[in-house]
Amino acid sequence: MTGAAAHPAGWKEPFHPEHSLLHHVWKLFRLQIAISISTFRAARLRRKIGTIVLTLLTLIFAGVVFAASWFLLGALRSPELAQILAEQGQPSLTPFLETMPVLILAGAFGGILITSFGVLLQAMYLAGDLDFLITAPIPMRAVFVTKMLQAILPNFGLIALFGLPLLFGLGASGGYFFLYYPLVVIVLALLALAAAGISSLLVMGVVRILPARRVAEALGAVGAMLSILCSQSGNFVNSMHWDEQNIDAQQIPIGALTRFNAAWNPLSWPGRGLVDLGTGQWSTALLFLGVTLVLTGGAFWLSLRAAERLYYTGWASMQTGSRKKRTAPRAAPAAPAKSNAAATFLERVVPQPVLGLVRKDFLTLRRDLRNMSQLITPLIVGAVYALFLFRAGGTPPAGRGEAPEWFMQMLGNAMIYGNVGISLFVGWSLISRLGMMGFSQEGKNYWILKVSPVRTVWLLASKFLVAYLPGLAVGIVFLIILSLVQGAPITVVLFGLAVVSLSIVGSAGINVAFGVTGANLTWEDPRRMNSGWSGCFGGLFSFLYMGISLGFFFGPPLVLSLLGLPEIAGQAVGILLGGAFSIGCAVIPMGLAAPRVARIGMS
Amino acid sequence: MANSSPLIVTDHLVKKFGEKAAVDDVSFTAYGGEVFGFLGPNGAGKTTTIKAIVGLLQPTSGSVKVAGYDVQLQPMQAKAVSGYVPDTPNLYLKLSARELLRFVGDLYELPRGKTEERVAELLKLFDLDGVRDDLIDSYSHGMKQKIALAAALIHDPKVLVLDEPTVGLDPKSARLIKDMLRQLADRGAAVFLSTHILEIAERMCDRIGIIDHGRLIAVGTMDELRALGKGERSLEDIFLGLTGGAEEAEIAEVLK
Repeated sequence: MTGAAAHPAGWKEPFHPEHSLLHHVWKLFRLQIAISISTFRAARLRRKIGTIVLTLLTLIFAGVVFAASWFLLGALRSPELAQILAEQGQPSLTPFLETMPVLILAGAFGGILITSFGVLLQAMYLAGDLDFLITAPIPMRAVFVTKMLQAILPNFGLIALFGLPLLFGLGASGGYFFLYYPLVVIVLALLALAAAGISSLLVMGVVRILPARRVAEALGAVGAMLSILCSQSGNFVNSMHWDEQNIDAQQIPIGALTRFNAAWNPLSWPGRGLVDLGTGQWSTALLFLGVTLVLTGGAFWLSLRAAERLYYTGWASMQTGSRKKRTAPRAAPAAPAKSNAAATFLERVVPQPVLGLVRKDFLTLRRDLRNMSQLITPLIVGAVYALFLFRAGGTPPAGRGEAPEWFMQMLGNAMIYGNVGISLFVGWSLISRLGMMGFSQEGKNYWILKVSPVRTVWLLASKFLVAYLPGLAVGIVFLIILSLVQGAPITVVLFGLAVVSLSIVGSAGINVAFGVTGANLTWEDPRRMNSGWSGCFGGLFSFLYMGISLGFFFGPPLVLSLLGLPEIAGQAVGILLGGAFSIGCAVIPMGLAAPRVARIGMS
Repeated sequence: MANSSPLIVTDHLVKKFGEKAAVDDVSFTAYGGEVFGFLGPNGAGKTTTIKAIVGLLQPTSGSVKVAGYDVQLQPMQAKAVSGYVPDTPNLYLKLSARELLRFVGDLYELPRGKTEERVAELLKLFDLDGVRDDLIDSYSHGMKQKIALAAALIHDPKVLVLDEPTVGLDPKSARLIKDMLRQLADRGAAVFLSTHILEIAERMCDRIGIIDHGRLIAVGTMDELRALGKGERSLEDIFLGLTGGAEEAEIAEVLK
């Protein structure tokens, strides 16, 4: 029986080869628009108002950036300023100003190229609607283009939000030719398409070698690590002690920026073309913009052509690819009789479900790359801070002048207590991550705990231990290493060990409690493990707590040594005061959060 | 039936999501020694009822008792005697089958020796012994479903609640599960399962409850359900008669 013969009269083929690629892309894109509109309509009033206010604020922001750059760049171009600079023998700012479009456009290209890899991977291979789209009578190329646009639009929007007002402000302040403005938008869009095209080629290539899900996991891990490292970069820069002697060094980047605007650099061509167009240098404008058009269009065309072959075959091989057999490393022995004395003791002291949960969490943390990133990053941050501490020498500054002996003694002790501080900081950053992600880490598997007879207090205790124990281990290791390097007295080391062990108790409790309030069981990206403001507040509160608890621990010994009394007595008082404060700060927040544990995952 | 004590009792159970009542005044009893089938069209409220029974959802009103324990007031006792297999087996993908089962044994506070014994038995029974140390990440849907069932059985529950247990299973595994559920009931447990496969319900279940639009519209044995209908013989006809199915004319209209 032939297919055509089986159809009743009037039946039409659902595929129309005469329709253009644009027709199909628009059809798919319309679907995304419809989804966005439905999502907005179905949202709560509070969210709708929030979205509208955010849109208005964004527009206002763009307007302010445009006006500010128009005004400021106009001032920098003023003949008066040029004259003042010339009188002082300083170079004109015009070359630097003309480098701005080059930098913005090159930055946009590079930014989209780098950031779009992850989103393209997600959109092209891991999106939930792919089965539906691939089995529909829609050309593969249209699916590819839609997925690509869908993936890069948010990043493009962000770059346009900052870049366009600046570029328009530059044009307005320099009185550029009117064609400059539409061409800025066109060139930016072409660069974005080319960058996404190149990135998509990379994605399609990588997916043929490695499983898409594994690549996404690795990317999530790297992304999370980079974001934490970036957030700490300000502190690193501050600790590099820029001083007067370094001013010349700071001027070097401006020179490098203007050198970036060289004719041999392809990344400078779009910006140079636009500036030349704005200032009426038609021949060079035509040359640079023409080459940009050919290169960006070519890159996009190439990715389209490649997509025709690579995208479908890559996706199809992902569906049929056999699951790689991955064996759990070090399968535990089955015989319980062989368990050692420590394990037996633990089993007697710690409730079985708590032990089971802790064991399970450490196994899954170790094996899941996305979780591992949360743990590695604080260690890197800690190591870098420790290096800075070593650079500082850890000794009181030379040249005591007229300072009395007791003051120098106290300063020396305080510097040694710095070791404890750095160890606590490393422990704190690790605990922050582990405590906050304790419940969220369960994800969609949380039902297993929910239907089991596990008491809330056991759940909280296990999550507390999972955060506390690694923090304790790392804090102690850092303290011992730092103390050995700096030759700290044994009494100070012992005191430091007690402080580290007790102080992070409170930190772990606070973070676990905030982890309960912000538990998000539907996360995909490890950076979004906590919902709402809980992550922010958790970090803030535990940092505040750490400062206050250090006051309780270190205050008494420093004050007593200031008064000429035995320091050891002060240390004992410090441990009592700080310990009580720390345990209180662990128990109270977890007690307050306990009723919410039963509600996790109920919505 | 080996046992006829009421093991699952829902009393005027109501669960609302906003204004919409997903489960509306549902009362029924499942006894020890029986397999109770829970049928209903898509969106009728089967999964919501099941989630209320196992304590995953808090009822808006009414109560659920499992083995005499109120699920909301005595959750630990109720959960200790029940096992649950969800429709989607979300499991810890970075654990092996053996590690997962040991972990569940710890949650139910089974003695370590007993856990090891049960793990070995269940893995062998479900034909997963050869992959016991592979990460669940590498398992097929059917294998995950079997591991979820093994996890629900590890503590030998008095009440077993299953949401669409045979979906995604090959005929051999489906048969194994059907036989196992029957044996479990014969040993005195209450097996409560939701299914779309009416043939399974008709052949396996001692009693059947039919839910539609959140309301329980019929409960009884096959004979009792036949008596409720208009002379239909098969469960399919009774089910469609009670819940309403598409008429032939409507189907023809759509397919024309």
